[in-house]
Amino acid sequence: MSSISVQAEPILSVRDLKKHFGGKKTWSGAVSKTIRAVDGVTFTIYEGETFGLVGESGCGKTTLGRCIARALDPTGGEVVYAPKEGGAVDLASLKPRDLRPYRQDVQMIFQDPISSLNPRMTLLDIIGEPMVVNGLARGEEVKHRVGDLLERVGLRAEYMVRYPHAFSGGQRQRIGIARALALNPRVIVCDEPVSALDVSVQAQILNLLQDLQAEKNLTYLFIAHDLGVVEYLCDRVAVMYVGQVVELAETSDLFARPLHPYTEALMSAVPPANPRAARAPRLLEGDLANAANLPPGCHFHPRCGYCVERCRTEEPELREYSPGRFVRCHRAGELKLDGVAELAEADL
Amino acid sequence: MTVEAAPTTATAPSAVADGVTARIISPRRLMWWKFRKHKLAVASAIFLILAYLATIFAGFVAPYDPATRSRNLYAPPQGIHFFDEIGQFHLQPFVYGWKMTRDLETLSPVYTVNPEEKFPVGLFVRGEPYKLFGVIDADVRLFGVAEGGYFHLAGTDHFGRDMFTRLVYGAQISLSVGIISVLVSLVLGLVIGGISGLYGGWIDNFIQRVIEAIIAIPTIPLWLGLAAAVPRDWPPLYQYFAILVVLSLISWTSTARVARGRFLALREQDFVTAARVYGASRTRIIAKHLVPNLMSYVIVTLTLAIPGIIIGETALSFLGVGLKAPTVSWGVLLQESQKVQIIQFYPWLWIGPAVCVVSVVLAFNFVGDGARDAADPFSR
Ligand SMILES: Nc1ncnc2c1ncn2[C@@H]1O[C@H](COP(=O)(O)OP(=O)(O)O)[C@@H](O)[C@H]1O
Ligand code: SF4
Ligand SMILES: [Mg+2]
Repeated sequence: MSSISVQAEPILSVRDLKKHFGGKKTWSGAVSKTIRAVDGVTFTIYEGETFGLVGESGCGKTTLGRCIARALDPTGGEVVYAPKEGGAVDLASLKPRDLRPYRQDVQMIFQDPISSLNPRMTLLDIIGEPMVVNGLARGEEVKHRVGDLLERVGLRAEYMVRYPHAFSGGQRQRIGIARALALNPRVIVCDEPVSALDVSVQAQILNLLQDLQAEKNLTYLFIAHDLGVVEYLCDRVAVMYVGQVVELAETSDLFARPLHPYTEALMSAVPPANPRAARAPRLLEGDLANAANLPPGCHFHPRCGYCVERCRTEEPELREYSPGRFVRCHRAGELKLDGVAELAEADL
Repeated sequence: MTVEAAPTTATAPSAVADGVTARIISPRRLMWWKFRKHKLAVASAIFLILAYLATIFAGFVAPYDPATRSRNLYAPPQGIHFFDEIGQFHLQPFVYGWKMTRDLETLSPVYTVNPEEKFPVGLFVRGEPYKLFGVIDADVRLFGVAEGGYFHLAGTDHFGRDMFTRLVYGAQISLSVGIISVLVSLVLGLVIGGISGLYGGWIDNFIQRVIEAIIAIPTIPLWLGLAAAVPRDWPPLYQYFAILVVLSLISWTSTARVARGRFLALREQDFVTAARVYGASRTRIIAKHLVPNLMSYVIVTLTLAIPGIIIGETALSFLGVGLKAPTVSWGVLLQESQKVQIIQFYPWLWIGPAVCVVSVVLAFNFVGDGARDAADPFSR
């Protein structure tokens, strides 16, 4: 995938976005613990790029994606969107009615091919409903457009009379993609669209997403929990750990030289390109920190192999290490961390 | 880009060809296929359909009017014969008339077969006139004997009224109570359970506590208390509706719980999130995405709730706080046969309604079991 051009305009600017669950008084008077699923995330996505978001399961990726698409109402922060007509709107704070015109522009693709399609609707209704709801088409016109979309995602137009249960996982993801495309969006939040699929099918779906991006100038927020897919697809990557971005960089830079120990640990889990490459396994040990009860200091310190005294007490800030590279670690730069590319090269 | 294999056709019994001409397998059809596998459930469903048809066409199915009295009091059921006393075969079956004597000690009637009296039984015979659906004049009955004879398939009661007829008319009340109460429960349960599941928070908490409180009270005493409050001098129709309300007041709780649980589960499904993201209104999401996906579960709960309601009506009437004569219901019939004398000497008076209640209740349970399995057609 081509690197983004210099003059690309920001299309989404996420600023200090927060989503907390719980923490409310229940009827019996007890106060449940606040889960900081997303806790102050800031990044900018440029038009036409694929922005990756990686992290272990449970680190808040889905919650962040849903807040951006306003499937969830954020607790705080801003999601500044640049509409085609120009100007800027904060999607995070808009009231549902004011949000309506912008909803079409930001759509979602889901992880679970089963639960993402209503089993009681035909493909025509599933893909056609977004158009009907938004008044883009009606009657025969809907059928036409649904047929075109089905063919565009590699299915047959005649399938529109069928129900989702008749399709395989990969085909269901194609249907989900067609539904997301129904409103001609500019941004698509892809929440692990291939992680529930067989490896043989994954590549087909990823290729489809790439083709569609080139054809319709789409911007993707691509969520994944494995770095392999991200390396293949994304222009820039943000690495997330318990609700916060710990590192953000262009994909090639990140893979060549990670700056955060957590990124390095994630990479150690990626199988090397050359199977004979000798590499000390630096597996990620321990469990993801509890978002309801975060450790003091650096949230990653209980699992970090480079932890020093300062890490236990002082929480690191996300700082710009070099232009376009951000990292949240006290020891960034002084550590010599292993990337993937470096290892592969060393082995040649 | 390569396209994957053609859609798999799930559990289709016959392989469906790909293409436009292929039969579309809707979720409803999948459910029917699953339900059909339960032979007992299908047989029970047919039995119930026939039973409900019989209540709708009661005048046609019953050979007499429920109030018609015959000379034979406490007559036992008459057996249908194809062979007469000398062993000769008759193509048209017949019944023997009764010869009545009295037991000199108890003065109760004793019936013996009268070989001289034979009444051939026919289908679609002309009998007493009746009004079909209460408006259409008719006199053709499903079965019966020619004028001058009598045929009591399930015996007669203390007034000489035909028990089979009374069972059919009793079914009108007993079976409709189940259906109507369940429809009331459906509405109450869906609305209250839906509000609970959709809004959550203190509303949900409040509704859940109320439901728990209702469930915590033992059913029969609660029914008894409520039913006893129904004025005894109300006309039968009012009493009927009062009992309906009493029965519905409890059965909605299980529907509400199922509806709430399903609403909560469905709300989190990705297709609902997708609908919110593309801007579908709340009403639309409820009507097109939530309700269609929970109806099958609700229907199962309702099917399984009907027997409880039928038993409830029977129990209340049996205990004397439900419906009362002249209304005829299975409970009323059982209530009328409570005397030791009847239980001992005229068992057909209680066996008839008891068999009816038990078979209908069992049938509903079998159908409910089959439906529960079919409700989720995508599971294996
Ligand atoms: N509706 C919710 N209520 C409470 N906690 C939630 C809810 N949704 C997500 N969480 C919590 O937020 C955290 C992040 O979840 P999620 O965004 O799904 O992570 P990911 O997509 O990275 O696996 C998890 O700890 C999860 O338990
Ligand atoms: S701040 Fe300290 S504990 Fe946290 S990642 Fe950096 S080195 Fe490890
Ligand atoms: Mg997720």
